[in-house]
Amino acid sequence: MTELSQAYITSTGTFLPGEPVDNENIENRLGYVHGKPSKLKKRILSSNGILTRHYALDDKQRSTHQNRDLAVAAVRQCMSGSELDDKALDLLAVASTQGDLPLPGLASLVQAELAIGPLEIITTHGVCSASMMALKSAFNQIRLCEKKNAMVVASEMASRLLKKSRYEAVSNLRIDLESEFLRWMLSDGAGAFLVQEKPRWRGISLRIDWIEIISFASHYDLCMSCGTNDQSLWSQDGKQEDRMHDISWQDYTSYADAEANGALLIRQNLKLLEDVVKVGVDGFLKLVNDGKIKADEIDHFVCHYSSHHFKGRILDLLKLAGALIPEEKWFTNLYTKGNTGCASIFIALDELFKSGNLIAGQTIFCVVPESGRFANAYMKLTVVGGRDGGTI
Amino acid sequence: MVALSEKEMTLGPQAQETLRHLLRVWLDFERRLSQIPIIRRIDQRSFTPEDYKTLLLNMRPQVIEGSRWISRAASSFTAEFSDIRSMVLRHAVDEHRDYSMLEKDFVSVGGKLEDIQASRRNIGTEALAGYLMNEATKPNPINLLGAMFIIEGLGNKMASSWAVAIQECLSVSEESTTFLSYHGENDDNHMNKLYELLDGKTIAHDSADDIVKTAKVVARLYLLQIEEFDNT
Repeated sequence: MTELSQAYITSTGTFLPGEPVDNENIENRLGYVHGKPSKLKKRILSSNGILTRHYALDDKQRSTHQNRDLAVAAVRQCMSGSELDDKALDLLAVASTQGDLPLPGLASLVQAELAIGPLEIITTHGVCSASMMALKSAFNQIRLCEKKNAMVVASEMASRLLKKSRYEAVSNLRIDLESEFLRWMLSDGAGAFLVQEKPRWRGISLRIDWIEIISFASHYDLCMSCGTNDQSLWSQDGKQEDRMHDISWQDYTSYADAEANGALLIRQNLKLLEDVVKVGVDGFLKLVNDGKIKADEIDHFVCHYSSHHFKGRILDLLKLAGALIPEEKWFTNLYTKGNTGCASIFIALDELFKSGNLIAGQTIFCVVPESGRFANAYMKLTVVGGRDGGTI
Repeated sequence: MVALSEKEMTLGPQAQETLRHLLRVWLDFERRLSQIPIIRRIDQRSFTPEDYKTLLLNMRPQVIEGSRWISRAASSFTAEFSDIRSMVLRHAVDEHRDYSMLEKDFVSVGGKLEDIQASRRNIGTEALAGYLMNEATKPNPINLLGAMFIIEGLGNKMASSWAVAIQECLSVSEESTTFLSYHGENDDNHMNKLYELLDGKTIAHDSADDIVKTAKVVARLYLLQIEEFDNT
């Protein structure tokens, strides 16, 4: 077997549309559903801890950007900090929960706007771990020496699902926690990584040591979804036999019908969230037991979840089992940049990469739990110095 | 989750490794457990009074068998393992009359005492009880710490999650879930003691592997017992 090459993240970029929006002003931006303030907003915001976020919407809920534009802006920022001309890119991987068009894939739209190529493209679609799927593809192609310079970008424009008109379009709307939870959680933004076969000449790079993605979709029901008005129809013991129509939003006679029936609201099953944490912990313990990571070698822990999701017994047990990563090693910008779905991990790593706090030899461990249907991604990075011999 | 450590406790590297393996066995067990239809109905809040009676009827023989194997295990430890023996003995005392709570709960939701007292072991209980009794008879059965980890963990889950869900589904008070609730309270202390034992000098490396393996067997057989409810 041919020896594998290494792959390095050599540059990063972020784009967040517009000014930060604080908690007081979210509803001014997303709109008051039927003119009334939300009753659940305060409770949900205090549980997620987010203070500011960005939306690609104006005060009248008109889009200020396309999802494609957010991705392109993040790529441009990433390339401007790189040691590479964008003509040298030979792979473009683009991840999003929802692209601008049902077809073609978002990567086609991003490539066209960037005016690069011809090159290979990858579009990944899912929820939070879609970015890690795209990154793993790029990582492997570089390792196999199929490509030299890959651009990976994760971009989200969730606000289109959160604006008031989406809720007002539902007839006999009963807003409950399940259909409103994500309205106060998600926001817009994009993050980009340049992945290359060699580290930078000057300045630090992040060597990708491994990426593991583990899905438990066959063990759990839908936890976060859009496109159905009844998540239980997708459960293992769902009632599909009794009802083959109106299961997916595409089954309705018209898309207007689907929307009126609440099939286009984004939903989160809160009862299953604790299981998301457990599955995440299980995957982590597997990596520790397999010797792929040690809790005490981690210098920076970047998790798409905030630390306050890990509480109670699981915290005690992880501590007891020597698998707890101390609070001071956690890095997040969730509270100021918002939860941007699959872009969050890239946006967090971009800030850490540029923070001046990374030293050659340090280990960064990343975890992206995806609640959609229980897919978790894990990644180990090592900070390496420039090829010019400089340490920083 | 599995248990809680009230006080600040630290374990050595080997005990930590054993605990990490045990935790994964537990998490796998818990996942498979919630896929069994009757348990799924607890999680989804569609559990019925008939389900509850089935649960209690099938748990009683297991609880009675449980106090037997644990007493047997206590007598199989030599003086060298007196710390484990003390723990096992206390445990046996704590739980050997648990079945009376179970009976009371059964009656409180409309079941007949004579029915639950006549309940027979299902085929899964036969397998689980048979295995545990066989292991308990061997000299110094340290591996049974793995069995206790799973069984106590389940007790904790019953108390913290099932009892509340069942009260909600059946519109009954805590007085109808005394077995599930009480079991959990006791199990917290048992778990802390178990962690201390994992860290003891008496646990050699090969017994750590046996502990994990026993936990796996017990988890599998426990699932079988629930899958085979009423198959007597």
